[in-house]
Amino acid sequence: MKTINIEELVKDGAVHGDIYNEEEIFQLEMTRIFEKTWVFVAHESEIANPGDYKTTVIGEHPLIVTRDSDTEEIFVLFNRCRHRAATVCQQETGNANFFRCAYHGWTYSNNGDLTGMPFQDGYDEHFDRCKMGLIKVPRVGIYQGFIFASLSEEGPSLEEHLGHARPYIDYIVGTGPDGIALNAGAHKYSFDGNWKLQIENTIDPYHLSVTHRSFFNILSKKTGKKINFNRMHKSEKIRDLGNGHSLYELGGDLGIGALPFNLIVFPNLGFLGSQVRVTRPISVNKTHVFLYPIMLKGVSVEENAERLRKHEGFYGPAGFGTVDDLEVGFDRVAEGLKAKGPDGEWLEISRGMNREEVDEQGIITATSSDEVSARALYKEWKRLMTAGSIS
Amino acid sequence: MNTVMVERKEIEDFLIHEAFLINEEKFSEWLDLFTEDGIYWIPSNKDHIDPNTHVSIIYDDRERLEERVWRLESGLAYGQEPKSRTRHLITNVKILESDDQKVVVSSNFILVELRRSIQTIWSGRFEHQLRSQGGTWKIASKKVELINNNEFIGNLSFIV
Repeated sequence: MKTINIEELVKDGAVHGDIYNEEEIFQLEMTRIFEKTWVFVAHESEIANPGDYKTTVIGEHPLIVTRDSDTEEIFVLFNRCRHRAATVCQQETGNANFFRCAYHGWTYSNNGDLTGMPFQDGYDEHFDRCKMGLIKVPRVGIYQGFIFASLSEEGPSLEEHLGHARPYIDYIVGTGPDGIALNAGAHKYSFDGNWKLQIENTIDPYHLSVTHRSFFNILSKKTGKKINFNRMHKSEKIRDLGNGHSLYELGGDLGIGALPFNLIVFPNLGFLGSQVRVTRPISVNKTHVFLYPIMLKGVSVEENAERLRKHEGFYGPAGFGTVDDLEVGFDRVAEGLKAKGPDGEWLEISRGMNREEVDEQGIITATSSDEVSARALYKEWKRLMTAGSIS
Repeated sequence: MNTVMVERKEIEDFLIHEAFLINEEKFSEWLDLFTEDGIYWIPSNKDHIDPNTHVSIIYDDRERLEERVWRLESGLAYGQEPKSRTRHLITNVKILESDDQKVVVSSNFILVELRRSIQTIWSGRFEHQLRSQGGTWKIASKKVELINNNEFIGNLSFIV
């Protein structure tokens, strides 16, 4: 087995193909990124009522996000019975006051407390029931209704982590007269490739006029207006917001949704079109993706329905855009990555490095065909992947 | 009630013909089977949803269905490059409602899709609403209840 040296896999304007292919790197990503930083687990609207819950994961850890039946406090709990480790909750979403493990019957309230188990005579006074509740993740933070959790006791606060991404999340929440809700189900799709391909693709306007030419042909036939991508890329901006987050500011309506920007919140959350996108790494070459349409509260059913129709037109397992990304951006890349000629194992992300501008807040900006977003992603990726390396 | 017995065989033949057009990639002819207000619908997450409040995998009105077919025939739909080869098996055909103008028919299907050397089995229930128009049946609505509509599915750019 070859030795992995993370430092050498990301250089100025290029990343090495191993970051998409090597099992060892995937495992390091789980521990050094997903177990260290803040990860989105749910939006409050998904668990709107007392007793509501949702199951999810951080990295490979199964979790339950609950809303306490009495206090309505939100908890993020490991979905693992303290007795013999079986998951205690099987549903994606639901409402329950208690989770009862179906193996030996240990029962927990939805705040995680152990409330009982059958045949208690086998445990004496040394058995401290108070310490045997479902384990809570070390940190939970909520920003504008978006619930994040961190498996690390230490590190920046959620607000610090979100940093310059916060005003854009504020904007998204403000698009509905009474806020927003993720209550319209989800598109769920899968591909046989590395999770970072989907993150990169979330802000990559450079590929729009190529991969999605058929979509834009259809759009211009419908609107009578042809999109001038050359001009578009000269005027639109992409920004590296720091902490791995990045932003693409659309110059006009691309027919794919309501937001005037695409936002990536490191490591695996995206806001674009009319959706919240969650990318879930499954293995080094398997990825699951959720697209949650953002519904506006306080508008008519028709207006939200129109958002859904527009979203479905481009996104999802049968949307005109997503399917072409699945083929070209993921399947073909995964295939091409297997070609490993001498010096031929690098992927270029250098576009526009020569025309970046940095403002007084440290935000790096270049135009929309430039690979600012990928560079932002891999700068933070490298920082976390090399932090705390075992010496 | 103005109930007219519609022969199950006649409707079954229609469904078989529709599948034949899809499997033989005669997409324009397939499109012609739909009424001008026809809907092609694949719900997401569960079988029974309100498409106005819950996202669908596909909710094509006639305009978008025409765009879908145009894309398939444009040579620019990378999601279908390479193409999917498909074969439908249609069974358990049951007429749910019928009169001389309208039929609602339920059927089960197995769809074998071959793409990128991977053979995938898709299955579910179709519910077609057919309308009599100029002496022939037209599809006013085709709903596809995929049994895996809540799973992480792959590229669904072919016609189901």
